Amino acid sequence: MNTLRLYGRSMAILIKSQLQYPLSFLMQTIAQLVMEGGEMLALILLIDRFDRLNQWGPGDLYFFFGLMSVSFYLTEIFGRGVTGNFPYMVRTGQLDTVLLRPRGVLTQVLCSAADPRRITCIAVGVVSLVLGSNLSKIAWTLPKVLLFIEAIFFSFWLILGLFMIVAILCIHSVKSVELANTLTYGGRSACEYPSDIYPRALRVLFTVIAPFALVMHVPASMILDKPLYGWPEWVAYVTPLSGLVLFGIMYLLFRKAMRFYRSTGS
Amino acid sequence: MSYISVDHLCKTFTVRKKREKGSLMREKETIHALKDVSFEIEKGELVGYIGPNGAGKSTTVKILSGILVPENGKVSVGGMTPWTDRKAHVRRIGVVFGQRSQLWWDVPLLDSYSLLRDIYRVSEADYQKRLNELTEALQLGNLLRTPLRLLSLGQRMRAELCGSLLHSPELLFLDEPTIGLDAVSKLALRDFLLWENQEKGTTILLTTHDMEDIAALCPRVMVIGHGEKLYDGGLQEMLSKYDTKRTVQVEEHRNIDHVIADMYRDLGI
Amino acid sequence: METQYRGAVLGGLICQLFFGIVLVAIYRALYAGKPQTMPLSHVTTYVWLQQAFFRMLVATDPELLDKIRTGAIAYDLCRPLHLYGYYYARILAQKLTGSVLRALPMLVFAALLPEGWGLCLPASVPALLLALLGLILGLFCVSALENITMAFTMRTLDPRGMQGMLNLLMMTLAGNILPLTLFPDSWQRVITLLPYAQLLDTPIRLYTGEYAVSQAPEALLIQICWTALLVFIGCTFWRTNQRKLIIQGG
Repeated sequence: MNTLRLYGRSMAILIKSQLQYPLSFLMQTIAQLVMEGGEMLALILLIDRFDRLNQWGPGDLYFFFGLMSVSFYLTEIFGRGVTGNFPYMVRTGQLDTVLLRPRGVLTQVLCSAADPRRITCIAVGVVSLVLGSNLSKIAWTLPKVLLFIEAIFFSFWLILGLFMIVAILCIHSVKSVELANTLTYGGRSACEYPSDIYPRALRVLFTVIAPFALVMHVPASMILDKPLYGWPEWVAYVTPLSGLVLFGIMYLLFRKAMRFYRSTGS
Repeated sequence: MSYISVDHLCKTFTVRKKREKGSLMREKETIHALKDVSFEIEKGELVGYIGPNGAGKSTTVKILSGILVPENGKVSVGGMTPWTDRKAHVRRIGVVFGQRSQLWWDVPLLDSYSLLRDIYRVSEADYQKRLNELTEALQLGNLLRTPLRLLSLGQRMRAELCGSLLHSPELLFLDEPTIGLDAVSKLALRDFLLWENQEKGTTILLTTHDMEDIAALCPRVMVIGHGEKLYDGGLQEMLSKYDTKRTVQVEEHRNIDHVIADMYRDLGI
Repeated sequence: METQYRGAVLGGLICQLFFGIVLVAIYRALYAGKPQTMPLSHVTTYVWLQQAFFRMLVATDPELLDKIRTGAIAYDLCRPLHLYGYYYARILAQKLTGSVLRALPMLVFAALLPEGWGLCLPASVPALLLALLGLILGLFCVSALENITMAFTMRTLDPRGMQGMLNLLMMTLAGNILPLTLFPDSWQRVITLLPYAQLLDTPIRLYTGEYAVSQAPEALLIQICWTALLVFIGCTFWRTNQRKLIIQGG
């Protein structure tokens, strides 16, 4: 509980800090809207021209897009410390200050930054979800609502886990952060669409290595009553757990990397 | 056993050199940051730790504060090994790096302090008592509602000290605390450190290049060079030992910095 | 080349390749459902050329941005240089080296991909030559555009706000997110006239033959007009910036 309280207080301070520069904050928030709006515009134009993508109709595609937007930018809001602050901390030696405090390193890193500007991206995602739900005439039942929340919850951990690759690489002073971005940002762009439209190699990548398909597409297609890969219904409740598994693996690797940091110095 | 005991401490770093033309592998160079360093510090002591740049001072402090893990040697601080139980250890210590801030840049000091209270899990009553005490001793009272970025360098250093002492650590590491401060701020800071040491019994290890700091504060000095401990004892003995040129030269008052420079030369570091 | 820099280039290259493959896969699936009048090979070619010359679009001079933010630019402003020309040349050179270095391996890779995935051959030899000419004009145009943003940043001192927005707008209107050829036809008539379309869209259309050789003079003329106009605006902007600074006394 104490950790949650600490997190809440840290967020309050961060927001207070960012509001010290209101104009810049506003501009950047609008910029985020332009970006995500552009992405959604592209989807609208594609649907306008092609009508459908394999078995997936316009509503389905908006639903998948919205699910990805909401989960991804939710993670960016709260996980900003891992991708943004952490590399900076390692470079400047600020990480030492973190190690001097009686709290977990990851807790402090997550407390050190947040990116509330992404809220506009989430708004775009919500619009897309509502649009998709209406067009596909989803009959919402309690299990479906729960499944939806489960999907977003575990997507958060999946994406945070992928973000941690950047942190792990930069402890080992690897500069090719763009390589890690292939999985995270590449995965985001690719998995705005259901994974079954991709050739086998990409499908395996998004199912086994960066399991966006298991965490998002399997439950989403169940909500849309079009089971992905023809898997039975109960599977959709289980597969999202893989997001937490990936996070767990990354957390262990992160701890190992921190041990390396502490024995090699910086 | 002493409060801090350091026994045959060794630490090496491997630095990757630039790849030379024609060779496939990059050469690695091993730097011995600490070679077999041992010393003991009693509770309540105020010790100066000096040496030229790159001598191994920061490495020692980083090991003692649990950030770095050494290859060899034993360290015990208050009966605990710093790096094996980092969280329990750092709760009892405070560290101030002169050139690195631990406070939040854009918010009032009071917000930073109350966040530190949450981080260190200090009870509200203890926090209020300690904060009043420190703000009075450090004359921070009217600055508490000012954001850090608007403070002068001297004010900032006082604010940092307050932040590192809020959880009433029993051991304080100071790394260049007076760097860049004006004369008034320097004197006030020294007064405060003496007060903290005498009133609270806080053990202080002071790393600095400012010999005036050492002369004003530390009865005991340790000198380190090339990763080895070269001197450990009283400041006056050290000065008379290395101030050899005074008898020869006409000038009566030689700057303390000159003596130290001579000493470093004598010791070959 | 420094090893770490080489690593960053390689990482960026793999990232770009990955994005290209994903995009092509999506268009292939879309085309399987409803083929369009424009052949699939033109779309995949569009994707690969966009990916290859992606570096031309993004602003790539963090050093200059730093200079503006810290105020160190004041030194440059006091030098006896034709500032606009100096920075124009600098941006141009950076975009050229940055994109050629990355474009060549990308194009080789895309050319080696199986039929229906990769880069198709240019419509004809004249089309290729015209496309190259268009690319060079596009480079001049994008450098002029970036120079204006630069001058604008000097005024607002906020490199992330305005410039970030313009960058993102550019991604959409230059055809990086969705090929401009897939926009609704009525939109295309307007968008292709905007400066953003001059950067990559025009040369790509010349390459695939979307713009026939007979239409090329018109397309190239639009590019030239935009470049001239943007250079003129940028020059004026820099001059007023400079004057303002001198009046304020730095």
